[in-house]
Amino acid sequence: MTAIAHFVAITCYIGAAALAATPFARPVGPPVRGVAALLAAGLLAHAAGLFAYAQRVGQLPLTGLGPSLSFAGLVLAATLLFAEVVARDVSLTLVAAPLAAIATMCANIIGLIPGVEPSGVRGAWLIAHIALSFLGIAAFGTAAAAGCMYLVERRELKSRRFGAIYRFFPPLATLDRVNHLAAIAGWLGLTLGVVLAVSYSLAYREMSVLKVIWAMGAWLAVSGIALGRVVGGWQARRAAIYSSVSFAAVIVLYVAFRVAETNARGRFL
Amino acid sequence: MAVIVVGVSHHGAPLDVRERLAFRGPDVLPALAHLRDGARTREGVLLSTCNRTELYLVEGEGDAVSAGWALLSQRLDADASAYGYVRRDRDAVAHLFRVASGMDSMVVGEAQIHGQVRDAWEGCRPAAGTVLNRLFQSALLVGGRVRSETTLGHGALSVSSAAVQLSKKIFGRLAGRRAMVLGAGEMAELALASLQQEGVRAAVVANRTFARASELAAQYGATAVHYDDAWEALADVDLLLCSTAAPRPVVSAERVRAAVARRGDRPLCILDIAVPRDVDPAVAQLDNVFLYDMDDLHAVVNSNLARRHGALPAAEAVVTAEVEKFWQWVAGLAAVPVLTQFRDEMNRMRDRELAETFRRIPDLTADQRAAVDHFSHSLMNKFLHEPTVRLRAAAANGHGLGIVDAARYLFALDERDVSSSRTDVPPREPERRDDS
Repeated sequence: MTAIAHFVAITCYIGAAALAATPFARPVGPPVRGVAALLAAGLLAHAAGLFAYAQRVGQLPLTGLGPSLSFAGLVLAATLLFAEVVARDVSLTLVAAPLAAIATMCANIIGLIPGVEPSGVRGAWLIAHIALSFLGIAAFGTAAAAGCMYLVERRELKSRRFGAIYRFFPPLATLDRVNHLAAIAGWLGLTLGVVLAVSYSLAYREMSVLKVIWAMGAWLAVSGIALGRVVGGWQARRAAIYSSVSFAAVIVLYVAFRVAETNARGRFL
Repeated sequence: MAVIVVGVSHHGAPLDVRERLAFRGPDVLPALAHLRDGARTREGVLLSTCNRTELYLVEGEGDAVSAGWALLSQRLDADASAYGYVRRDRDAVAHLFRVASGMDSMVVGEAQIHGQVRDAWEGCRPAAGTVLNRLFQSALLVGGRVRSETTLGHGALSVSSAAVQLSKKIFGRLAGRRAMVLGAGEMAELALASLQQEGVRAAVVANRTFARASELAAQYGATAVHYDDAWEALADVDLLLCSTAAPRPVVSAERVRAAVARRGDRPLCILDIAVPRDVDPAVAQLDNVFLYDMDDLHAVVNSNLARRHGALPAAEAVVTAEVEKFWQWVAGLAAVPVLTQFRDEMNRMRDRELAETFRRIPDLTADQRAAVDHFSHSLMNKFLHEPTVRLRAAAANGHGLGIVDAARYLFALDERDVSSSRTDVPPREPERRDDS
């Protein structure tokens, strides 16, 4: 059931991205309803799959690398759907839906193996930390996606090319606003996640050095954008470059740590 | 019954012909009433715009096409058919659907025609009947579908609206944005009017002739300044609209760079609609500056136009599907007279057989005769109930025509002069004729 539901979800996310790309190939308007429906269907299937998983193993899909990645994909897709329904614009799907699909796909390739989940207050503490951190990362990813799109569209506008990207991407100001809001949301999520993680480590004397380095790296990256935007008055290109490059760096760092850490099999790090 | 359109349009008629054939509001209903005289037409709607004059008619007993041409020729004082066309049945329906969608317009995809079709129908309601009311309702729906499901109506097609479109691509909503106008010519005024409709506020107008700058500034609630004083204000505006008559660029990279340095990361959109250009091309290289000249605006217009033409097949698919739907509804209308004919025929048969039975058994009492009559009536109703219900249902769900034809064939209704009661039956194979 879990595997089938994940397969359906991945198909829907990829389908949504493909549908969002149709205006590039054919002279049709942005298929907002179709993309939202596909994303919603994918989310439902994904949630059903994780629910079945939680029932089977008796714990939330927040511990263990596979379940965590799948949950991250779910959160990213949910954030995307929310943003698109509010903005009535589907172009963000082009970047964010494949990201959600890749996360879910990786989760299934790695395997949905549950980690050891503590019970009681300790368990709730850990789950709150993981959930908030994933929300922060998903928002950070959204900021990066909006930043990438900003840079692509800016390039088209500067070089006076009035093709498909000019027609179907949202205005630069909209992408800049999405980047701004997502950066703030990412900073809030990751800050709370890190605070909970630090207090958890102090309380239960449990710490992974790689995890700390990676989490601090991600937090510093997103704090840099949030600070730049709120205090430094960053807008537009500078914020877009910083968010996309820093998010890519955070992902590369994670992959490098995963490769380096041979004992992290089945765990996040 | 036949749906016919007789008319002329920009495709075949020059402007002077279209001018003479244009109908003003008060002339329309008398013209349609004239066509109804002698039952040549049963329903009529006249659509008259600057690009077309078309009569949509439901044919009566006479020759509606000749009557239509006669009316138009009388108005033109020449043979109008030389400039026009005739469409019948499915072709006529498809034609109106294309017209209402803007597919047949001079500027493909223009939205104004949708309202003009609605107005024409509203104005002709006394002369329209079941068929044309339904046809025009459908046409307006098709127009809406084409507009929402395809990109036929998307994109600006004038330089000033292209300027608005480009600015929106950078700023999103333009409400509250501030613009500076350099040069107070006619083009600048046109573009400024378009931008102001979107909520842009003209902040500064600079011109060599200060009086003209003051005039334009007063019109748009802006401040008039001399050229040399304008550069200070550049840091505070979002849009710079240049339209001076200067023979060489007046907006240099140095001037813009100084303003940009004080703007932080805020983008500046410069629309240079002057020929020769007012802005040094090197300005485009500055960070957060988006510079567009007349060639760029024309490129936007051309791209939009190409996109509209590219949307025609998708729009045509909508029209084809809706024509089929409309024609199935017309086919449903055909079921009613056939059902009446069918029941009349069965009743006549029952009467004949009853008379024959009573002749063979003359000794029946009045009660017995009544019982036999009741039995025959009841039996016939039972036999006819299901076919009647199904025929009605088939007509209602749009599959009437084939089944009606089958009923006609099975019960030999054609051989019994169905035509006398087929007032609403559409022709099976619409005749294609185009007099254009």
